[in-house]
Amino acid sequence: MTLSSPANDSDRTHFERSLLRVQQDVLRMGTLVEESFRMSHQCLFEHNLDAAQQIIPLDKRIDRYYRQIERDCATLMTLQAPVAQDLRLLSAFMQLVRDLERIGDYAQDLTEIAVKLVKYQPHDCFDQIEAMSEHAQLMLATSLVALADLDRSAGEKVKKLDDTVDEAYDHLYQILANQNNIPGVVEPLLLLGLTIRYLERMADHATNIAQRVSYIVTGQRS
Amino acid sequence: MAAVDFALGLIVGLGFYYWKRQQFKHQLRLVLKSFSPRGDWVSSLPPISLMRRELTYVYQQKRNLEQQIQTWQQLVEQAPIGFLRIDEENRLLWCNQKARKLLSIDRWQPEQVRLLLELVRSYELDCLIEKTRQSQQKQVQEWTFYYTHYASTSQQESSVNIAKKIESLALQGYGFPLPEKQVGVFLLDCQALVELSKSREEAFSDLTHELRTPLTSIALVAENLIKRLNNPELRWVEQMLQEVNRLIDLVQDWLDLAQLQADPYQSLNYAVVELRSLIFSVWHTLQPIAKKQEVTLVYSGVDKINMEADRSRLIQVFLNLLDNCIKHSPVGEQILLEVKLVNKNNTSAKEDATIEIDIIDSGSGFAPADLPYVFDRLYRGDKSRTRQGQTGKTSSSRGSGLGLAIAKQIIEAHQGFIEANNHPQTKGAWLKIRLPLREKLTIDNRN
Repeated sequence: MTLSSPANDSDRTHFERSLLRVQQDVLRMGTLVEESFRMSHQCLFEHNLDAAQQIIPLDKRIDRYYRQIERDCATLMTLQAPVAQDLRLLSAFMQLVRDLERIGDYAQDLTEIAVKLVKYQPHDCFDQIEAMSEHAQLMLATSLVALADLDRSAGEKVKKLDDTVDEAYDHLYQILANQNNIPGVVEPLLLLGLTIRYLERMADHATNIAQRVSYIVTGQRS
Repeated sequence: MAAVDFALGLIVGLGFYYWKRQQFKHQLRLVLKSFSPRGDWVSSLPPISLMRRELTYVYQQKRNLEQQIQTWQQLVEQAPIGFLRIDEENRLLWCNQKARKLLSIDRWQPEQVRLLLELVRSYELDCLIEKTRQSQQKQVQEWTFYYTHYASTSQQESSVNIAKKIESLALQGYGFPLPEKQVGVFLLDCQALVELSKSREEAFSDLTHELRTPLTSIALVAENLIKRLNNPELRWVEQMLQEVNRLIDLVQDWLDLAQLQADPYQSLNYAVVELRSLIFSVWHTLQPIAKKQEVTLVYSGVDKINMEADRSRLIQVFLNLLDNCIKHSPVGEQILLEVKLVNKNNTSAKEDATIEIDIIDSGSGFAPADLPYVFDRLYRGDKSRTRQGQTGKTSSSRGSGLGLAIAKQIIEAHQGFIEANNHPQTKGAWLKIRLPLREKLTIDNRN
């Protein structure tokens, strides 16, 4: 099963056409969010500080899509009164864009952290945080692919992936919290603490997206 | 009587039939005339056989065309560049092998029409398609395509453990408008080019690194020789030492540049710097050459301004820029240097504040054709802006062609911005620098 249903052009109704447009907007927004996540990653780990400026217009576009999709979904639900899977699809979209938008916001926060963090020596556990960020991106990609394919097993799958991020979060938190030889100011540690927190939240939102995809297909909340 | 009636009816019927037939033949001829452009049909043949012949011909032609289309399709499928065909609603109609490889489209089946965004999550590609459709003109775009791996059902464990989760690929896309609001996209792989230029730079850096040690020992030997030699050998060795020192400076500049580019932010040591006194101290070191050219510096703008920056790097920037200015100023002219404080968003928040520095000389300026390249390494457009002619006179004769490149690299590491232009009034070079002021600062106007 796929997101865009293969129907002939001639016998497609106005509703199906509108639905296709909304689906496309959701996917576009997903692409943008993925890109801002990637930019935050480059900003943090590859010292590409230009990304901190580039992400601002990106975030505005994400916000615009968020509002537009929500409005379109509401219009379609009231005017066309869809049932069954179409209704689940629309209501899931409304929730899902919220998750996407949050991930975009966290990505922007991460770039701000990166700008502050650049002055300090990189911490020992930086590599682990990088791996954590990459893993969270993989989760987001998996969720978006699941959305395109309407994969019913997505929720479970991404939930399993999320465990890795949670473990990494606990582990890194312990490292940062138990550090006792702090050279100079405490700011880099604070920033790293926030970074892993944001990454953990982003992974959580990605999991939510995948679970909503499962809900669209099965109609059951996991 | 009945026989006559019958004969009459028969004649009328036959006449009617004959008339209809003639009409039908006439119509057939008309149809043949209008649809067959060849016009070589023999009119003596009955029109129905002409029609049959025409139909066979059309059918044959159709088969030929189909075959041609198939050949083209096979060719495009095997083409070394990627091709995508997108319909009005941004659904992928067809893509060739290379496109599938470049964009990592692994979930596409030819008979399944799906949204392009379901298969390729690339915002730039989406923009290119949209732009082509809107403008109905050919569009070109370059971008780096990132592909994030995802965990698929079949190989869940293995795909999680792959070493690289995100891959990047430099792409160039050409969008062409097609009928019915469709769009065709060609994709070129530019990754090899990017890697090549990177490896070239690395090779060059390695080379300069290797050059440094022998050059230093040559310089040491030359210095020792000077003490023991008399003219005319002394003069030769002195000249050699000068040239060796110039080479050492060039190598050092290149290494600096390479380091700044590789790791721009870590190589800076931030401290509070007072800009005005820094500029004047730089000017002081440049006094010997400035006196010779009788060039003066006119400073205007903020009196005292503290900013956070790397002091020695900033000195290097102004040394390079002012040195350039002096060398290109006519005798007795002025160099204008203006420092302004700009608030981007009209807020009083000091984090938003930027310092704007304009350096204007009255020399010959940059040639307009050179403007886009003046910050490139070793670029010597106009020969008058190179410093070949003045070997030796200054102790730090940096005739390397790297001065502006280094300045730009340092400014950008400070998250600033530098721009070269020609000043409309003086016709000389006009360098505009913008630097963020950063926090922890105090601005005292006429303190």
